[in-house]
Amino acid sequence: MSIEESEATGAPGAGPTDEFVREWRNAAYNCYSSGHKFCREVCPVMQVERNESWTPTAFHANVVAMEKGELSIEEVASDYVNCTQCGACELRCPNTLFTGDFYRFRTRTVDLVKAVRALAVEQGIHQPGYQRWNLLTDERRHEPVLGEFDGDGIPVDQAHVADWAADLDLPIGGETILFVDCEAAFYRTSVPRAVAQILKLAGVEFGLMREQWCCGGPAAEMGYLEQAKRFARHNLDDWRAVGVKRVIVLDPHDYITFTEDYPKYFGEEVDDLEIVLAVELFAELIREGRLRPSVPIERTITYHDPCRLNKRKGIWKEPREVLRAIPGLDFRDVDRVTQWSYCSGGGAGLPVEKPELTAKISGRRLEKAAELEVDTLVSACPWSERPLSQAGDAHAIDVVDIHELLAESLGIEVGGRRGA
Amino acid sequence: MSAVATAGGLDDRVLDELASVLGDDHLLTSRPARLHRARVPAPFPVHRWADHVPDCVALPGSTEEVAEVVRIANRFRVPVVPRSGGTGLTDGAVPLRHGILLDLKRLDAIHEIDLEDRTCTVGAGVNMLKLNEVLGRHGLIYPDDPASYPCSLVGGRIGTSGWSLVGSRYGHTRDLVLSFVHVLPTGEVIRAGDGGGAKISKSSTGLNLKHLLMGHQGTLGVATEATLKLYPRPEAELSPFWAFEDYDTAHRTLRELVRADCATFAGAVLFDEEKVAYLRRDDEAYIPQPENVRALVCAVLYGNEDEVRAGGRRLMRIARANGARYLGDEISEGDWAARHDRYATPLHGRTKSGQVIPMSWHCEDAAINWSRLPAVRREWHAIIARLRAKSDVFDDWGMFAYTSGRTGVDYLTEIDVGIWEQELDDETWAMWVQAKREIAAVAVAHGGSISACHGACREGEVDVVPDELGPAYDVMRRLKRTLDPNNVMNPGKYGFDGAFEEDLT
Amino acid sequence: MTPFRHGEQRTPPSARRVTDVAVMRFEHIYEVDPRLMVDHVRQQPFPNWDTQRIAGSRHDHLAWMHRHWASVVVSGEELLDD
Repeated sequence: MSIEESEATGAPGAGPTDEFVREWRNAAYNCYSSGHKFCREVCPVMQVERNESWTPTAFHANVVAMEKGELSIEEVASDYVNCTQCGACELRCPNTLFTGDFYRFRTRTVDLVKAVRALAVEQGIHQPGYQRWNLLTDERRHEPVLGEFDGDGIPVDQAHVADWAADLDLPIGGETILFVDCEAAFYRTSVPRAVAQILKLAGVEFGLMREQWCCGGPAAEMGYLEQAKRFARHNLDDWRAVGVKRVIVLDPHDYITFTEDYPKYFGEEVDDLEIVLAVELFAELIREGRLRPSVPIERTITYHDPCRLNKRKGIWKEPREVLRAIPGLDFRDVDRVTQWSYCSGGGAGLPVEKPELTAKISGRRLEKAAELEVDTLVSACPWSERPLSQAGDAHAIDVVDIHELLAESLGIEVGGRRGA
Repeated sequence: MSAVATAGGLDDRVLDELASVLGDDHLLTSRPARLHRARVPAPFPVHRWADHVPDCVALPGSTEEVAEVVRIANRFRVPVVPRSGGTGLTDGAVPLRHGILLDLKRLDAIHEIDLEDRTCTVGAGVNMLKLNEVLGRHGLIYPDDPASYPCSLVGGRIGTSGWSLVGSRYGHTRDLVLSFVHVLPTGEVIRAGDGGGAKISKSSTGLNLKHLLMGHQGTLGVATEATLKLYPRPEAELSPFWAFEDYDTAHRTLRELVRADCATFAGAVLFDEEKVAYLRRDDEAYIPQPENVRALVCAVLYGNEDEVRAGGRRLMRIARANGARYLGDEISEGDWAARHDRYATPLHGRTKSGQVIPMSWHCEDAAINWSRLPAVRREWHAIIARLRAKSDVFDDWGMFAYTSGRTGVDYLTEIDVGIWEQELDDETWAMWVQAKREIAAVAVAHGGSISACHGACREGEVDVVPDELGPAYDVMRRLKRTLDPNNVMNPGKYGFDGAFEEDLT
Repeated sequence: MTPFRHGEQRTPPSARRVTDVAVMRFEHIYEVDPRLMVDHVRQQPFPNWDTQRIAGSRHDHLAWMHRHWASVVVSGEELLDD
């Protein structure tokens, strides 16, 4: 039936599942009727679990099944936990890769997983880990990255969100602010310290937010959409209040939240807001000669393309430019297409609900690195660095953030800590 | 107890026994787990999904577990349907009688890479692309290259006796698999190969069971591990595409290219006029060409660079002498590298008024001699035209013909039919099944075979199988009965139930 | 490096016709005539960076697929005149 017909009859029903199915019907059949399944071998979950119920194909087929009345949201909700929203599947899918731009219609598994999770939450179906995590985030305005009871006695809350910058003499407000995600602000503080000090060295003016809340991205990824929007509204209002025109982010997850989620929530209101990814800025500053990494770093490294840069945004060149500018490195690269099937397992709340699955995925990533006989795995995503570091211990591979490495080569004493 | 395994509804005794073999984590009984393993990419009667849902899903982790599951199935007379990648196109893995869905994907280890004799041994759940990422580091390749290369699994390639796009040089799955561990329908485990050696490609010891136990669609048991023949990773690749003003010229040129007898020739493909018209819907697949480009031929060569260049020069001369126009490096290289991805693009579906709709894709795969291609082409397009006149649910996406062997005796002959799955109902499904019967009958009438590679057990075409096989079909039934006395393995497929009629009287 | 601005991303350049079923907005990137996606399947909101990401990734994937199978891709054009 045509779009008009299905909207007019409102077939089959008017409940939230029916609305959802109507919205996703064509997308679901685009997958179901294709049969390609090229998504599977690039999916980090599929590679370790080999369970066809936890595949992008099944995620789409569930919608068809719900349309036919064969399955209900209750029956499938927990299956959607098994996804890091890395975007490999939807990129590799021929309906994106070969004809997505032609039709302006592509596979959107990430959005589908988020939408199903939101549908479940809306109907009172919660995953216990997600629910607890987002409740604590709501209470403190930041994600409980140091555990529920604040490991090391460091409180995760508004009063301490800028503690990482205590001795760096950074102003509050201004046209350009640096946004620091929860994991970097509280757990791996060496990353924002590195970024802030590199920016200062290059003479880039910036400040911190008056009142930074969590960006809201993880809440949206886990299905807590109302909370995500509320947090986004707060952050946007805070920016507007001090005349912010430009937001620098160091975390790929934030980059996605601000360039994709915030426009969806706020539309034209954010048309003129500039979002700058720190590593892209640093590559440019190196090209212009405003940053000259000169301290040799004798490490044998390989680079982990963060999913949310490489697969989700097509950003892979600048991090490699930065690494190639650092003297002393023996850089054993793996190309960006091969890395479509790599992942740390840290995304979309997976470590919150199924840490053992995250560990399997990051274990596999470290095995790949170990085959190259490197001593260091460099990432550009703080969220990936925790699971990768944990897996790195077994291989005696040090997991380092690209900003930390660059700062070191610029002669900066970074300070802070690289996690617990 | 009936000798013929009947439809499922497994009781707790069976489930308990299965759980004790597999562990609770690897026996799935939830409805989603079972629904997702009911279908394969061939067009599916979505409105009758529930008809094909298995009763439980077994995810074995070893050959021993597979054998135990099969033994349990025999004791309780329960159907077992093996499922490898679930990317087959003949409904081989669709459970006709519910039962136990045996999902082999956990058998995904690379057990051995033998650099001396150039073989590797892998679990049936291994994908060829991922395998070749590993083998490439050793300068080796396992050149089994179907359209499903990025996602199909070794076990399924054995179960369907797969066909490869580069089979004209490297052979097909039956040539590339040296031997495999096979669980028989009774649960006994044997090695199936050429003779008894695991790494032997040619033997005359005893009867050859290897080819019997490939391509049976799970009706004669299931492979759990395979030893594969490896080739050197090619030094060079050349994949020229040529344009023609009409099909007949393209068809003749195809023959001349094959007759050039180039050692590095790995395959050639003929695109008919309807296929070219279909490709024009997506100018990403096909940079806009003048109106007089109506048919295409491509060839591909792999091997060492000296030989690929020499072979390439000869083919370019032959093509030009036959009136072909080379389409240039950009199209030739891009379209060959995109060979796996150009198939089922749902949004290439069109209503009769030209509006975009998502269509599923049926891919016929007859084996036809070169001399019969033009006639088969005419008859098949006529069948689809009649279908499309009756209903917007069907669309003609044109035909391909691919060399199956380097002498060009026979071609994998494919017509692609778009099917608007969202709109399928019993009436249009019945129209489709009738068309399938007619398509299959055309292949047989022209001395060909219903299926070069997918298998022939879909609704419609399976009715024509006895016509194609003649008295050999009865031999197959007798073999089925001998090897699977309780009819537990994929019962109902291929009409092999007929082998058990005596037990029902 | 151009910072991301949603305002620039959400409006694609205008289309010019290249065949009777296809248009072009970006150099070398074909698109279906949007009039063919009215009755049954509607186009999705598609920011410009996404079109570029897909086109770039496709190119990267094709190069990867060549390298996966062979070390050298021989040019047919070079062989034409032999």
